[in-house]
Amino acid sequence: MAGTMSSIALNGRPNPARASAAPTPWAWLLLPGSIFLVVLFVVPLVGLLLLSLGMPNWTLANFIRITDNPAYVNVLRTTLEISVSVTALAFVLGYPIAYALTTGGPTLRTFLLIAVVLPYFTSVLARTFAWVVLLGRNGVVNQILLELGWVSQPVTMLYNRFGVIIGMTHIVMPLMILPMYTVMSGIDRRLLRAARSNGASPLAAFLTIFLPLSLPGLIAGVLLVFIYCLGFYITPALMGGLSDLTITMEISAQVVDQLNWNFGSALSMVLLVAVLAILWIGSRFFPIEQLLGFSDGKAASETISRRQVGTQWLMRLGAAANVLDRSLPSLGGRSIPALASFLAVLLLLPVLIVAYLSFSASSYFVFPLPGYSLRNYEAYVSDTLWVRATFTSIRIALMAAGMATALGSMLAFGLSRGRIRGRGAMVALVLSPIIMPTVVVAVATYFLLVRVGLQGTEFGLALGHAVHAIPYVVVIVVANLRDLNPTYERAARSLGAGPLASFRTIIAPLVMPALIVASFFAFLASFDDLVYVLFLGIGKITTLPMRMWEGIRQDINPTIAAVATLQMLFAGVVIIIGALLGRQRNT
Amino acid sequence: MLMRAKVSGTDLKTGGIALHNLQKRYGSATAVDDVSLSVSPGEFISLLGPSGSGKTTTLMMVAGFELPDSGRVLLDDRDITRLPPHRRELGVIFQNYALFPHMTVAENVAYPLRMRRVAKAEVEARVRRVLDQVHLGALASRRPHQMSGGQQQRVAIARALVFDPPVLLLDEPLGALDKKLREHLRGEIKTLHKEVGKTMIYVTHDQDEALAMSDRVAVMHEGRIRQVSAPQELYRRPADLFVASFVGEVNLIPVKLKSGVVYGGAGEKLPAAPWPDADGDATLCVRPEHLHLDPSAAGSSHGVPGHVVGRTFMGDATIFEFRSDSGLRLTSKVLNISAESMPDVGDACAASWAVSDATVLTE
Ligand SMILES: Nc1ncnc2c1ncn2[C@@H]1O[C@H](COP(=O)(O)OP(=O)(O)OP(=O)(O)O)[C@@H](O)[C@H]1O
Ligand SMILES: [Mg+2]
Repeated sequence: MAGTMSSIALNGRPNPARASAAPTPWAWLLLPGSIFLVVLFVVPLVGLLLLSLGMPNWTLANFIRITDNPAYVNVLRTTLEISVSVTALAFVLGYPIAYALTTGGPTLRTFLLIAVVLPYFTSVLARTFAWVVLLGRNGVVNQILLELGWVSQPVTMLYNRFGVIIGMTHIVMPLMILPMYTVMSGIDRRLLRAARSNGASPLAAFLTIFLPLSLPGLIAGVLLVFIYCLGFYITPALMGGLSDLTITMEISAQVVDQLNWNFGSALSMVLLVAVLAILWIGSRFFPIEQLLGFSDGKAASETISRRQVGTQWLMRLGAAANVLDRSLPSLGGRSIPALASFLAVLLLLPVLIVAYLSFSASSYFVFPLPGYSLRNYEAYVSDTLWVRATFTSIRIALMAAGMATALGSMLAFGLSRGRIRGRGAMVALVLSPIIMPTVVVAVATYFLLVRVGLQGTEFGLALGHAVHAIPYVVVIVVANLRDLNPTYERAARSLGAGPLASFRTIIAPLVMPALIVASFFAFLASFDDLVYVLFLGIGKITTLPMRMWEGIRQDINPTIAAVATLQMLFAGVVIIIGALLGRQRNT
Repeated sequence: MLMRAKVSGTDLKTGGIALHNLQKRYGSATAVDDVSLSVSPGEFISLLGPSGSGKTTTLMMVAGFELPDSGRVLLDDRDITRLPPHRRELGVIFQNYALFPHMTVAENVAYPLRMRRVAKAEVEARVRRVLDQVHLGALASRRPHQMSGGQQQRVAIARALVFDPPVLLLDEPLGALDKKLREHLRGEIKTLHKEVGKTMIYVTHDQDEALAMSDRVAVMHEGRIRQVSAPQELYRRPADLFVASFVGEVNLIPVKLKSGVVYGGAGEKLPAAPWPDADGDATLCVRPEHLHLDPSAAGSSHGVPGHVVGRTFMGDATIFEFRSDSGLRLTSKVLNISAESMPDVGDACAASWAVSDATVLTE
């Protein structure tokens, strides 16, 4: 039956499901997007490398300066210290959530998923703002501590290492949890039963079966978070003290304030190489593209049965735990769901508190609210600066989302249906913009735009945002195409529809919801961005996040709470639309 | 205390399982309803039933993965109802093998021993022995995903045997395999049962499997056990209509009992052993291979008169569709052993059967 179908399809045009060396017509769809990415992503990064080497006066002096000057060594050390602490903390706190997300009941899982996904799609700026409000000298936490009488005077929690680590950990938690969850949910639960029936206690079964099988996800989460921390700019800049200077802040200082492009480029290259090295290590344990949600259905079992580290050691530990189990009364399994729920509440709380405070009747952040009012929202809509910033953001995001959706969906079709040589490299190119540190990419793009005179223009900024948004579009559309049963198309073809007609009548309607969702997420990626604006906008463009950023740095204006709440609401709407369209397609 | 280090399975005194009034509900639905069953040491018993009849749930209560709402599970007269699965010392073989993908075959098989902290040298010896027993000695260092379904199933069996549990629980162990392989492994499991002499509780929805392998078969339907019998008994003397129609093909003839004598719809007397002191509606069950169609007896008063309305060649046998003059539709199966002439479609015949081949069911 299937054989007949495919031979029918073969009679028309080359069968996309069959691999061959020659590019198929679908592969041409890769062209526009890859040219776009090469010009706006690869070329700038190469330019950055050349600049760091002193072009046109070739030299290694910039790199030598980094290692010679204790101040810069210090910056590297601070960056590493913060990244390691945040990664470790996020791992410890994220693991129970990911575990409960996989093993819990339906209600718990829904709640945890919301607690992870909602903050994930709320802008980093809004979440950082929440922590500034919470941890400040007169912040909510201090107010509560004083109220309870636990401290006699406000504790300093902001503008120091503590604040940076708390804020960053909160922000990277979804990034830690989602890859762990992806891998854990692929583990066959019957294996645990098999272990139990073979004499393993619950703890031993966890140690010898679940943990080793979830290891790729753990490694992936840890590496992803570590990479993200190394290139993190917004939160350290807003929450750190003077001594917490990280490499991204130094890059910004060199490029924007000191106009020392060569040295800024050298610092960027250091960051980039560090990230690439970590990615390379990570790819030995887990295909990085699968982490980012890009998989074309390659058997996950192959990944799982890759070389495992520490399995033997865990076996011994498990056997030891087993002996303990027999002498101990059995431990209840309720503690993990309870712990996970508690952590999830902590994950949601900051954004919820900001939403709550946005309805304050007072012009200060007082907790609990002295009274409800919409004055912050009124202040937002009646202030021409805020309104203008909002429209600027919308204009740029529309341009960026338009470009990203068009190019990204073509790339997605080309990658799923076309057969080309070097497909792996293509996937890497397409996904890189979201893995590489945004600051580095933004700096590189800035140097390029300056050369063509597009710096400080909305179009130039939209180009940068489009590069950043294309990976999201590709991931969403590729996932959709993978689920699209090729027999529909073959059936249509066998019923007499030509290639174009079958595209129009079968593929396009089925893919349309995914395109809509993808464009929403592309819009959101642009709308929430701050880093690109900081570099490409050269002070001339004030988007909404830019205005929030300035507000947070100057006076922590309560209007920002209203704006952040609206941003969150918008993210929530996008998630719900995505979920609804996804469900509609499945029924 | 934690090791059942006995000589391989020859001790037929252990491995008796008794289920007392087991009940399990999921919400308002009752998955297992008042199931009682006694399995003697060394016995091979099948739980046979259609999908959703509660076989897996019953087995999982024995294995310790489900807690019954009421009732008890006894292993050799010891109440294990609330004992966690890892302390039950029962071997479980799961439908999809449940081999650990991150371990080699040898590591998989060694797993139960390592969990019991058996000394390394002994682990190796026992793993080798049991792998040889299932003819997989050469594949010890492979990963599960590098093996065929049948080989994986053997690994699962080896893993369940290696720690020498007195009882093996098998949940549709051959369900995922193709027909040929299934029949082959059926024989292997049966041989293994003879060799190791362990009690085996075997869940299946395949009646051929159950009939071919078991000492006794327990037929389940809607959470209840309908009949527990040896295969021949089950086939020849089904206890109720469900069992009769679920196990094998059967002609169900609505009849009337008048003081123990069986009458057909048209009031004719039908061949069946007299049913003591019963009146009212009943059903007469006759297997197709026991139903004879005789063209020569067409006009006589012997048997049920009617016509052949269909004839299908099935290779080893021919199936006849028969329609009686009173409107009954019956099926007859005749083995194609001799070239003797068989009735054709349209021929008038009389359908008959031996008194001993008919079962009367009143319900
Ligand atoms: N975890 C569960 N939650 C709710 N209902 C369940 C659960 N497990 C089983 N059931 C229900 O209990 C009944 C018996 O299920 P069980 O799995 O024991 O059937 P089975 O005989 O093994 O069927 P199959 O041959 O399909 O495996 C079914 O109606 C099933 O839907
Ligand atoms: Mg079942």
